[in-house]
Amino acid sequence: MQPISLTVNGEKVQAHAEPRTHLGDFLREDQRLTGTHLGCEHGVCGACTVLIDGAPARSCIAFAVACEGREIRTIEGFGEDAVMGQLRIAFNREHALQCGFCTPGMLIAARDLVLRLPDADEQRVRVEMSGNLCRCTGYRGIVRAILSVLELRRAGNDPAIEVKPAQAVPEFKPFEASAPAVAAAGPAVALAAVQKAAGTVIEDEFTVDHPLAKVWEIFGDMPAVAACLPGAEVSEHTPTSLKGKVSTKFGPMKASFAGAAALERDESAKRGAIKGNGTDSLSGSRARGDISYQLFDAGNGRTRVAVAIDYSLQGPLAQFSRGGLVREFVKKMVADFAANLNARLGAPAGAAPAVAPVMTISAGSVLWSWLKKLFGSNS
Amino acid sequence: MKAAAFEYLKPQDVPGAVKALAGSAGDAKPLGGGQSLGPMLNLRLARPKLLVDVSRLEAMRTIEDKGAFWRIGGAVTHSAIEDANLAGCTVMSDVARNIAYRTIRNRGTIGGSLAHADPAADWPLALPALAATIVIAGPAGERSVPAGKFMKGAFATELAEDELVVAVEVPKLSPGARWGYWKFCRKTGEFPEASAAMLMDPERKLARLWVGALDGAPQSLDALAADIAMRGTQAVSETSVSAALDLAVPGQEPVSRRLHVTAVRRAVQKGFN
Repeated sequence: MQPISLTVNGEKVQAHAEPRTHLGDFLREDQRLTGTHLGCEHGVCGACTVLIDGAPARSCIAFAVACEGREIRTIEGFGEDAVMGQLRIAFNREHALQCGFCTPGMLIAARDLVLRLPDADEQRVRVEMSGNLCRCTGYRGIVRAILSVLELRRAGNDPAIEVKPAQAVPEFKPFEASAPAVAAAGPAVALAAVQKAAGTVIEDEFTVDHPLAKVWEIFGDMPAVAACLPGAEVSEHTPTSLKGKVSTKFGPMKASFAGAAALERDESAKRGAIKGNGTDSLSGSRARGDISYQLFDAGNGRTRVAVAIDYSLQGPLAQFSRGGLVREFVKKMVADFAANLNARLGAPAGAAPAVAPVMTISAGSVLWSWLKKLFGSNS
Repeated sequence: MKAAAFEYLKPQDVPGAVKALAGSAGDAKPLGGGQSLGPMLNLRLARPKLLVDVSRLEAMRTIEDKGAFWRIGGAVTHSAIEDANLAGCTVMSDVARNIAYRTIRNRGTIGGSLAHADPAADWPLALPALAATIVIAGPAGERSVPAGKFMKGAFATELAEDELVVAVEVPKLSPGARWGYWKFCRKTGEFPEASAAMLMDPERKLARLWVGALDGAPQSLDALAADIAMRGTQAVSETSVSAALDLAVPGQEPVSRRLHVTAVRRAVQKGFN
């Protein structure tokens, strides 16, 4: 617990809070100001909106200890506020609430809009209010209410709305561009990801500068494979199974999946599979993933390795999924793996290649599968 | 939906913040406005042992006119930039205005957004296109990196564990400069599916065209930018943009490719309108 002092609805408050207590919980549980509603608790729905130093903010993703010395104003603190009074009447008249859960956040966001953008039209109101969700979908009434207050205030204040003259932009004169000082970090991913019924599949390939037989041999040596994957650990293994752990770091996120995998090898086709699943004990997320690989003779003593990773993820980590970020991650992973594999195959017997301490994968696609799904699909 | 326990530290100055980060062996995260980190903490996707709050450091909260460029502190919020209308850099306000929602912009910071390095975020796209510079503080003092080299991939940047984005330096646009920015969002304020930014500044001989919301860091389309500088919008067609994207962003899925081609074309169109 840390001591904090701040102002809540005009009154000085001295209290203690754990660093992890967010402002919304502090207001509701400690200050008993339950007008602030908590909806999603991860900054998406806007129900918990309060004013921090006069500016609307989401109290679920502001920590109470970070609000030391700030002035907080919750929905309970607007009793005498003229603009809020107008909004209350308008919300009532326009039937701008049904269940009312989103209303405290809607009112605080609407008051900020009315004061900050007195000439807002309907489009602007809708854009500005888009961060506050109404699960009853009663947006028409809400927008009508806000527009009516804007109208009322424009009529009453005789504001002589300032219209800025459009600035003339000079005619464009073609020019020869100087070479940019900076080139981007390199082309982005070229991986295919296919959504399947069971999970998502990523395909990739790389080439190693060693003959097929040698590469085939090392793919059967699980501790060696794990050693090439930064972050992977194999705790026990047989020719057909393994147990282990995959730890990884992706931006601020860290996870460690412990699990088991079954191994398959088809000597004649030079094809194999690692089918695994695991659990991240901290988040309680479960991942399933199958990595299949096939080796091809690429000529001149080189081997082409084709990899397909089919994965799915369940649990808290699956909620945070977006875009094709995982593909980028897998690309980097495969590149690291290929580089380490090359180094290992080229190293004299007994010498361990340097493994970049970046990320991890092993225990059977767990991580790959986890990450792919984690950020795969849908924003 | 409650964060796991962590310790919270409010350092007095930038060296104090750097020292705290350096002393915690990678288990600390700097906290700006917490608008990306906060959700990750609440969902327990991130579990740092220590948060170092840099959002109140005065040295990182100023916007200064440096003549040829503006120096914007790393802890300056998006809404402060939105409301500032910086002379010669009003485009910064336009970019800021379309980041997420006002409640997010009131707390989210420009330095935090860059350090978080979400591939679909606005500043990691806009700042390279504006030829900005990122100022980084670490144990050895300050260093500067061109914005186009700062981001290394999804959630990966030039920053070491004990470094901070203390400021960004954004060159002022010449009066005849053209700026265009476009992003496709499923819903207003959400992270885009595709985005693009163009700067044509004849006086400075600067032609920039960048695409964002990719799987990794935003990418530049330099040859197409140079062609636009010579021929204006005539250089831009479905074919020319597709060809440029083939080089910079190979292997895109058809839907993403379609969105990115259109985002680039609209960014250019906006710049010349």
